[in-house]
Amino acid sequence: MAQCVQSVQEFIQDSFVPMVAVLCSEDAEKVTRKNNLNFSELLRPFCRLTSEGHMRDPNNQVQVVKNLRISVNNVVTRPSVPASGVPGHAHRRLLSEVVLTCQPAEGGVANVITAGDYDLNISATTPWFEAYRESFLQSMPASDHEFLNHYLACLLVVSSSEAVPVEKFLKLSQEQHRIQHSGEYTNPKWFIPNTLKYYVLLHDMSQGDEQRADSVYEDMKQRYGAQGCYLLKVNSRTAAAGADEQIPDPWSQYLHKSSLQSQDQYEDPAPVVVNDTAVENNVGGTSEVDGHDSEEKDGVLVNSLDNTHPLQLDTPSDPPGSLDALRAVAVETKPPPVATGMAAATSHGACLTLNDHDRIRLFIQEFTFRGLLPHIEKNIRQLNDQLVSRKGLSRSLFSATKKWFGGGKVPEKSIAELKNTSGLLYPPEAPELQIRKMADLCFLVQLYDLAYSCYHTAKKDFLSDQAMLYAAGALEMAAVSAFLQVGAPRPYPAHYMDTAIQTYRDVSMNMVLAERCALLSAEVLKSQAKYSDAATLLIKMTSEDSDLRSALLLEQAAHCFINMRNPMVRKFAFHMILAGHRFSKAGQKRHALRCYCQAMQVYKGKGWSLAEDHINFTIGRQSFTLRQPENAVTAFRHILTNDKNPITTLKQPFHNVALPQLPLPCINSSATRVYFGHERRLAEGEKQAATHVSLDQEFDRDLAAMWQDLEEQVVAAAKRGVVPATFQPTQCCLNSQTDNLRFPLAVVEEPIIVEVVFRNPLKVPLVLSDLTLLWKFTLKDFNRPQPQEDSVGDVVAISNEKDARLKLLPHQTGQLNILGLVYNLASTSSTGDTTINTAEGTSVRGRQDLEIQGPRLNQTKEEKTSVSHGPDRRLDPTITPPMPLLEVFFLQFPTALLCGEIRKAYVEFCNVSRVTLCGLRVASTHPDFFTFGSSSLATPLTPLSPTSFENCSAYKTLATPPGVSGAGTGGKGVTEIPLGEGTLKPGESTQLPLWLRGPDQEGVHEIHFLFYYESAEKGGKIRVLRHTVFICASRSLSVRATACRSNTLPEEEERKEGRNSSMLVFVDVENINSSEAGVREFHIAQVSSSSKQWRLHKCINPAEDKESLFSLMPVFNFCFSVPSKAVEKYTFADLSLGNELIITSTTPCADFFFRRCQPLESLRLPVAMETQGRHSRSQGVGHGDGAKDIAGVVRKCNEVELDIIILWKAFVVEDNKQVILEGQLHVALQTIDKEACSMTQKEEAQEMVLLKFKPELPPPMTRPSMEQLSHLIKTNLHYPESYSHPFNQKSLCMVPVTLTLSNCSLAQVDVIIDLRHKTTSPESLEVHGSFTWLGQTQFKLQLRAQEVMRVQLRACFLHAGVYNLGTPRVFAKLADQGAMCETSQQTATPALIIIINST
Amino acid sequence: MAVCIAVIAKENYPLYIRSVPIQNELKFHYTVHTSLDVVEEKISAVGKAMADQRELYLGLLYPTEDYKVYGYVTNSKVKFVIVVDSSNTSLRDNEIRSMFRKLHNSFTDVMCNPFYNPGDTIQSKAFDSMVTAMMVQAS
Repeated sequence: MAQCVQSVQEFIQDSFVPMVAVLCSEDAEKVTRKNNLNFSELLRPFCRLTSEGHMRDPNNQVQVVKNLRISVNNVVTRPSVPASGVPGHAHRRLLSEVVLTCQPAEGGVANVITAGDYDLNISATTPWFEAYRESFLQSMPASDHEFLNHYLACLLVVSSSEAVPVEKFLKLSQEQHRIQHSGEYTNPKWFIPNTLKYYVLLHDMSQGDEQRADSVYEDMKQRYGAQGCYLLKVNSRTAAAGADEQIPDPWSQYLHKSSLQSQDQYEDPAPVVVNDTAVENNVGGTSEVDGHDSEEKDGVLVNSLDNTHPLQLDTPSDPPGSLDALRAVAVETKPPPVATGMAAATSHGACLTLNDHDRIRLFIQEFTFRGLLPHIEKNIRQLNDQLVSRKGLSRSLFSATKKWFGGGKVPEKSIAELKNTSGLLYPPEAPELQIRKMADLCFLVQLYDLAYSCYHTAKKDFLSDQAMLYAAGALEMAAVSAFLQVGAPRPYPAHYMDTAIQTYRDVSMNMVLAERCALLSAEVLKSQAKYSDAATLLIKMTSEDSDLRSALLLEQAAHCFINMRNPMVRKFAFHMILAGHRFSKAGQKRHALRCYCQAMQVYKGKGWSLAEDHINFTIGRQSFTLRQPENAVTAFRHILTNDKNPITTLKQPFHNVALPQLPLPCINSSATRVYFGHERRLAEGEKQAATHVSLDQEFDRDLAAMWQDLEEQVVAAAKRGVVPATFQPTQCCLNSQTDNLRFPLAVVEEPIIVEVVFRNPLKVPLVLSDLTLLWKFTLKDFNRPQPQEDSVGDVVAISNEKDARLKLLPHQTGQLNILGLVYNLASTSSTGDTTINTAEGTSVRGRQDLEIQGPRLNQTKEEKTSVSHGPDRRLDPTITPPMPLLEVFFLQFPTALLCGEIRKAYVEFCNVSRVTLCGLRVASTHPDFFTFGSSSLATPLTPLSPTSFENCSAYKTLATPPGVSGAGTGGKGVTEIPLGEGTLKPGESTQLPLWLRGPDQEGVHEIHFLFYYESAEKGGKIRVLRHTVFICASRSLSVRATACRSNTLPEEEERKEGRNSSMLVFVDVENINSSEAGVREFHIAQVSSSSKQWRLHKCINPAEDKESLFSLMPVFNFCFSVPSKAVEKYTFADLSLGNELIITSTTPCADFFFRRCQPLESLRLPVAMETQGRHSRSQGVGHGDGAKDIAGVVRKCNEVELDIIILWKAFVVEDNKQVILEGQLHVALQTIDKEACSMTQKEEAQEMVLLKFKPELPPPMTRPSMEQLSHLIKTNLHYPESYSHPFNQKSLCMVPVTLTLSNCSLAQVDVIIDLRHKTTSPESLEVHGSFTWLGQTQFKLQLRAQEVMRVQLRACFLHAGVYNLGTPRVFAKLADQGAMCETSQQTATPALIIIINST
Repeated sequence: MAVCIAVIAKENYPLYIRSVPIQNELKFHYTVHTSLDVVEEKISAVGKAMADQRELYLGLLYPTEDYKVYGYVTNSKVKFVIVVDSSNTSLRDNEIRSMFRKLHNSFTDVMCNPFYNPGDTIQSKAFDSMVTAMMVQAS
């Protein structure tokens, strides 16, 4: 419970004060009316007595009465609060008004309570609660079971201006008597039958005759005794005169606003207007007025409700009593309310001087000490005597007789409202009530000991009678008086209170009494630091019937929780929320908001997001209804931003225009993309623009890496093989995945496009309009014009994610910072219909900053352990001076090709900037896909129509000589583009022919081009342009080729030319086209070779059909002899099968050949190097050289570096027209006797390298394989094919045979020839008749490199027949390899000789 | 069975809170949050000396009009709160105790997950299904 201004004792004392009624004559009322007050109001500020009074208790002990307060009220005859305990509507309204007007002061003192980890700012006092409590207690209805609110005395006030004041007094006295005793009125209630009447003569100093007043007073003294009357002189000055003089206004704090207002409207004096007519009216005409009044009571009476005590009001639901009717008549007769009252309303007591104040104070004191207290004292004594006289009877007997005799003692059932509540009603004279009466009297004059014992006795009696309501009242007061006893001889009986509350609430259904009881008890408990009990008590009192009460009590309970020794912060918060909820239900918005705000302190940022959101939402809504949009926005924003982590980035001080930061819609900052560069023309007629980069493309990490690789290649090529250290790949489109550590570069006059992604978390569609970027620009150099911005259209974000693209066009170089967005936010009125509504509907212009958090740093240990983020400079581009800008267009670019097909297309380069560009290069992922012709040779300006396609056969046009374009390229995938003068002037464009060759593998190929160019100016920056094409390749031909060593010895003339050996090349061509492309037939037009050593010599194809048309027979066989030739240059040898010969070396054919070869060769070389290295390592130091030799030498003799190029023509039907396509296929022969295929080439090249974690072990096989070694020596037998011999004459036939040994290798070879016939195989046994070699059967020779040696042998035959001479076995080893044993050389093919008997 | 089950971190923010879906979730959040005061009171009431042998089960924290709130505190000051319907009189103290034990075991499993970052809200499916099993079937 919050701290109160009053102490508990004061509070309780003030809650129960002696009540004094006022009956006022009309004239007297007029006198007080001058001060805008009625008589009781006039007295009210002075009702607390400053001096001590004295009185004697029944034991004749003098008791001091300190700090007594009396309550003076006009007599109101209507019941205020129905005794049923359910407060009426007006009553509630009033209480709510009281609470509403009492708001916490703005910026009032709030004390900070620290509980655990909570620091709470809580207003320590709750004045609204005290105001409520005070009003509530004062408006307590007088009830029958207790006497505390009953009137003890009555002031009869008559003005001295009255003609016969004494008569008037008499009348008033009669009136009072009538009210009390006639039985007509249940209200007001009177304490004692003989009420103290105190006669007051009111004298108006300003107008009346003072002497007359004095004389009347003297008369009164004689009549009523000096202690029963008083002359009160007021109005010492006129209202007008004293306007300037400042007199304190003690009334204002006692009169509530509501009562002030009503007072102005209706200046009725005391409700009981005692004038002659009225009384007569009252007596006679009650019934007549009744009906006529009913129409008016709403209009007039309701207005008049507030005039006495503000709370003793209710809209009468029953037909008004006669006095009401009377008043209604009086109102009618009176002049209408005067407007002058309004002006005077602000000040009270305008006619009163300070002297008058003192007089009034004195009057009260006099009345209390001389009139009231003695009266009470007397009554207590009387009651006491009565009770004492009855003490003889034992209580039990007393009750027993009651039972026996029934009758008089039996509490009669009430006829009226008490029937259902208390169940019992004592007659007013019942002895139990007398005790209670005495107790109340004692209590009122602070005789708490006596009061307690009386209450206690009464309680027992009531309980035994089962008079629960009475018992509860006694219990309540017993507890209170026990608490108030000086020195506290007994502990405060809290259970009395609990029982009382429960009884009130559950048995009597009287919530008002229960509430009073709870308020008292809670206050007492609080003073004893029993906060928990107090809270429980208060919470129990909350119920559905009164939201305001529940709210206030819950709030007090919350304060109890926070004031506990171990503050229960969360309970506090929760009950605050409950209180806030009830406040808002009760219409107390400000209080509700305050409660929620206080509770918010507990929930804020503790992870209880659901609760937090709820509170924020309520705060927002309340703030909104209270016209505090800023607070509402803050609260609502919390809800929206709650889920994401607050990014604590520095706020820039710029552009802090008055635009509010809007929380809606959410911007996904990290998804913001920035694109640099102008929008490109996509296509122009037949032209097809380079795809480049656009915002529509998704970011692909692999692709990005690929582009970066390409760019590195091309830069390396442009910078003569070295990638500069400062090289950074160009990034045109920045997003969350790109590297945003550097400031991106943007070029003057080229737009920057920012794409912002919005997300609408609400289910309400939002309309954004007038989107603009907010930016800051720092000038670096150059001239005037400022960058200008363009906003891109309206964006309607509905329910999910949407993005907006905004364009910025810099006009000047410098540093640009894009800060945020400015936009109008509106919500669509109803449907999805959008843009029209925005114009009419309300919209808010606001901004939202774009704050992008960089990637999390994870490099150093420090960064790993903490969460730190790097910078993200996506939105901070540097504007650089103009740069060249290239646009590339493609013409007649095919989308589908046959494998190996050659096609011509055109490419156009266009410089659209104002700067000359140069150094144009292109890098590609498929460098063998295309080649450039020369611009000088081509006819660029006449693009060829498809009909004249035949004319543009690739092989008729002379392309660039191989030296220029083929070999001159720098990097592996980089081609320099042959521009006319190497530069492209601003606005210029060039068209170049482009030869394309279908990829060797079927399928869809994604081919990337990266065009590189730089500014012609010094220190020109690099720019690139990307292009991606998709080519669909379909199968055409498959070419397989095998090279075989020819066993025939070279011809003599050939040997002269230096050719010492020859090979046979078998080429198999297979049509693997699956006819879907409409290919009808393939023609092999030509076969060419390209090798450093070999060239195609002639076609020894046995097939007659030279045109070799094989649409029917898919597999065809060619056989070419290839003489060797030792030249260190690629030589092209062409063998035409058709009519015309194409000079391969001068057509693009060669280009393609070279492009294809390069990757292969580069692949081949390092492998060779590595194997050599490995060998030397494994062989150790000793014979490292030798090992190297073996490998080299041995491989060499098996290698053929021969490439076969097949040129073909395909007849294709396309749109009912026959089109001839041309193409070429390559087969690379590397090893003798190994089949090579045009199809599988790629796979070999792409052999996967296994990932190895351990250093690779040296291969166990360090020597060249047996197979390799068996190819060292080529053997050949020369002999006559048939030999005639007359066996009759000579039985032995000797045939000379020459064995030719030729060393294939480049090293010395030791050769052993063994002629001894060893027939090991059963097969040779069967040969009928063997022959023998004559002469030396074993030779040991040494052959130098490439030496050819002949050994003369002689064979001896015994019979005619066919013999196989191929028996000599040749072993060879490299000469310097002592450790190695000889290897058997490849056996020659069977050499058959026919021996004929010539007889 | 339970209508709301909550796991509260040492720092008194919710690690996990789940209530019977058809009912007012917010109310349970408030109830659980408020119960923390009682939990703290009970913990501090035991005293520091007894902290080691302290019974983890705190018993009934407080009854509201419709619910009974039970509490349980692990040695690492993680709180478990189970709210049951007051009308459910068949539920004995021992059953509540065993529910808490089950909850504690499951929570331990969650903490043992190397991918669980202590202090994060619990998103384990196993834990979720265990809690679901203990909840009233909203039918």
